[in-house]
Amino acid sequence: MFRTAANSARRVALRAPGALPAQRSFHVSAITLQDKTPIPTHSFSPAEPITTLAQRGSNQLSLETPQNKAEYVLSTLDKVANWARQGSMWPMTFGLACCAVEMMHMAAARYDQDRLGVVFRASPRQSDIMIVAGTLTNKMGPALRKVYDQMPEPRWVISMGSCANGGGYYHYSYSVVRGCDRIVPVDIYVPGCPPTAEALLYGMLQLQRKMRRSRKTVLWYRK
Amino acid sequence: MPSLQRYLRSIYRVGIRAWWRQLQYISDAKSGRFVGQDKFGNKYFENYNAEEEVPGRHRWVDFSQHAYHASQVPPEWHSWISHIRKDPPTEDAMMTASQRPWQQPWTENLTGTRGAYKPYNTVAPKIRAWEPKIAPRA
Repeated sequence: MFRTAANSARRVALRAPGALPAQRSFHVSAITLQDKTPIPTHSFSPAEPITTLAQRGSNQLSLETPQNKAEYVLSTLDKVANWARQGSMWPMTFGLACCAVEMMHMAAARYDQDRLGVVFRASPRQSDIMIVAGTLTNKMGPALRKVYDQMPEPRWVISMGSCANGGGYYHYSYSVVRGCDRIVPVDIYVPGCPPTAEALLYGMLQLQRKMRRSRKTVLWYRK
Repeated sequence: MPSLQRYLRSIYRVGIRAWWRQLQYISDAKSGRFVGQDKFGNKYFENYNAEEEVPGRHRWVDFSQHAYHASQVPPEWHSWISHIRKDPPTEDAMMTASQRPWQQPWTENLTGTRGAYKPYNTVAPKIRAWEPKIAPRA
């Protein structure tokens, strides 16, 4: 924990002979990578865009590359399921504050979420996304969790605005949850105070991207 | 105004191949002036004829990548496509003058890849991992 000369000497003395020095990271879990080449800063080739280059050596790329015929079939089935899911995202509206107004704008004529198959559904049991829009107070926390628990799998959460992301303006308040990710697992964080309807719609599109990456049956098969 | 006549006219103008591509990516047949292309291969078009394109849909982009999204448009073209500037960056004197040789090329949003932005914590960790101390045997 404390990197002093005495400590490291003790660590070396205690280590089994021939063992590799243990790496410990406090803040992030260690990532095992097959490919340690650094990610380039940019790419002008449409065939090999920067998003492709940045995926090299990742577990996600390994999942997306079928290794045999069974995996090919399963990943195709996954893609069909992903396509169906991303085409009709029904968000559960959890409008808590002014962000909810921007969320309503996303449904209105200009940004028109309907064209993407996004329809607000006021029932958690029939929706698959929850948009947490606004300040989550301590009093609202249990209700949020209850609503989240009522949603069927697979479910996603979009945290909208500074207050939902990390408490925002009310971070030091005695009655506010410092980020809704303390209550529910969040997929997409939309920054802003409040974020524009455009930003939220971009967040929805990023969530579509995330849905498209899902390879659930391939994961099951490999395990 | 959108009409069958406009649709067919656009197909006639852009050709079957380009029409098929448009159908895959923008779900419409659009024809207009080719304005320019950025370094990433995205092509930009405009058509100010209100009879052919509905005002508001008169500037559009043909993305070079299959997995396209809005952040692939670099900032100088973003300012053109969203009418922050009137002229495209290839013709805009102000835009060409403000390009610097030391400027980094634009990078699209890398969320969900290994290149994604990850903030790091500078605060001392609140949780201490258990570090077993082995007492020496007597």
